[in-house]
Amino acid sequence: MIGTVPILKIGRTLLVSIQIELSDAVAEGMQNDVLAALERTNAKGIVVDISGFDTVDTYVARILAETAKMAKLMGARSVLVGMRPEVAATLVRMGYTMDDVQFALNLDEGLALLGHVIPR
Amino acid sequence: MHARYLRTLKFDELELASRRTFFRVTDEDLARLASLRSFAEKHTEAIVEAFYELLLGHPETAKFFSDELAVKHVKKLQRDYFLQLFDGRCDLAYVENRLRVGAAHERIGLAPKWYLGAYRRYLEVVREQLFKTFPSDEARASMESITRIVFFDMSIAIDTYIAANLETIGRHQLAIRELSTPVIRVHERILLMPLIGTIDSLRANQIMDALLLRVVEEQARFVIVDIAGVPVVDTKVADSLLKTTAAVRMLGAQVILTGISAPIARTLVQLGVDVSSMHTCARLQEGIELALQLAGKVIVDREKGGAP
Amino acid sequence: MIDVVAQYRLEIQIEDDIVIVRRKARQLAQARKLDPFATAAITTAVSELTRNVLVHAGGGSVVLEEISDGERYGVRATFEDHGPGIANLELALAGGHSTSKTMGLGLSGSKRLADRFEVKTEKGVGTTVRIEKWQGL
Repeated sequence: MIGTVPILKIGRTLLVSIQIELSDAVAEGMQNDVLAALERTNAKGIVVDISGFDTVDTYVARILAETAKMAKLMGARSVLVGMRPEVAATLVRMGYTMDDVQFALNLDEGLALLGHVIPR
Repeated sequence: MHARYLRTLKFDELELASRRTFFRVTDEDLARLASLRSFAEKHTEAIVEAFYELLLGHPETAKFFSDELAVKHVKKLQRDYFLQLFDGRCDLAYVENRLRVGAAHERIGLAPKWYLGAYRRYLEVVREQLFKTFPSDEARASMESITRIVFFDMSIAIDTYIAANLETIGRHQLAIRELSTPVIRVHERILLMPLIGTIDSLRANQIMDALLLRVVEEQARFVIVDIAGVPVVDTKVADSLLKTTAAVRMLGAQVILTGISAPIARTLVQLGVDVSSMHTCARLQEGIELALQLAGKVIVDREKGGAP
Repeated sequence: MIDVVAQYRLEIQIEDDIVIVRRKARQLAQARKLDPFATAAITTAVSELTRNVLVHAGGGSVVLEEISDGERYGVRATFEDHGPGIANLELALAGGHSTSKTMGLGLSGSKRLADRFEVKTEKGVGTTVRIEKWQGL
């Protein structure tokens, strides 16, 4: 399943745009790919665009949150961008608030947020 | 529709048994009604005709029956209705059937007074026919059984009117609620949601959904939620505010909670809320100023000549 | 007094079935005009419960139904497995029970998302979970 989620590098930021329905395997593959890309490159930031997701269950949410934590251990900051209203409402109602993850409204804001902390 | 009323009215086997006891609808009555079936079939036409003579002869009720076709249709329904009185059963299916009749009347706006008044005429004609057909002892007993089931029917019809009315009131309340939860754009990418009135769990859910949709629609960065107009903030309301705050954060925006009185502050702290992660202000004005400040903007007093 | 308009039975055997079941649930919710929030709620709950069946019982089945009460439409999902059963139902419903593959929010979270929620479990026999989500008023 490796390679199903495209990862682009813009400056020192990795851009992960997930436009397909995320199965457990694809989510796990995404995590591996992102961490491998961090190892390979000198990226200091990750923007994960999840605007294409209409369902995020707690397993996928946990993989996203854990990926951010692992990236942090490797010296990179992460931002999740573009979460849909119904996805946010559903996760919160289940009691999952992703407290240790940073969010932004859209790609621009996500990049801007990281821009403050990452030198170009 | 009638199935829903059955639920609204909590009409189950228990309620049925209780009501039958109170209206004295015994198995003996049902058996007698069943035995009157052929009598009923014989006189249906005359009884229904007399019934509509009354309704069509009265200007206020005549207007419910606009044309010949409609009258023909309701007469057929009326015949069915009348004959069902003599089915000799009184179970939940019967009740559901009767609810449908009440619901139909409610739908066309036929008030209970006309329904009750017309029913009197019904009984009058039935009584005449009974005493003409049977010896007076038998006619009297039959009349009593019919009266019991008819009163039972009327109680259900009245319940249906009430249930339908309650539903209308509920719908209005819903509409008022939606109106009472506006989301206002106070500045570029800054929204204000003043909450006024009691917040129950249904409204809390609506508030969250409506706010999240607007945040994304307007790509808002800040949302000021003013709770000065909420009379009681108990743990449930506080919890829903926290959930809304968390959900807004997951969209990439921030909530500024304003209108926090001393009791609300106490509730939030006692709930163990992590207040360090929240923007809160006592007054709405401060919240607006904070939102602008966080957005990199300032309000300048020109009289005093503040910074440009 | 609830009518079943349509019924689909799906097996839950492998991980990819989570996506298949979830997709079907979403399709039914959208066909029955549940709003985006209710659709996300039922789809996510179905996803959680499908994973539960897989992780805790090693497999099972789900019956997805379009339902109606004469006034509104809804979606119902009934999960059935013949796994070990839920040892501590109270704890699982409180959201405190977690395994490596589940957050422990599967059962409690689904309950919070659903309009109706029923669970029957018997040790060594299996578990049945039923949820419903309806159109808004």
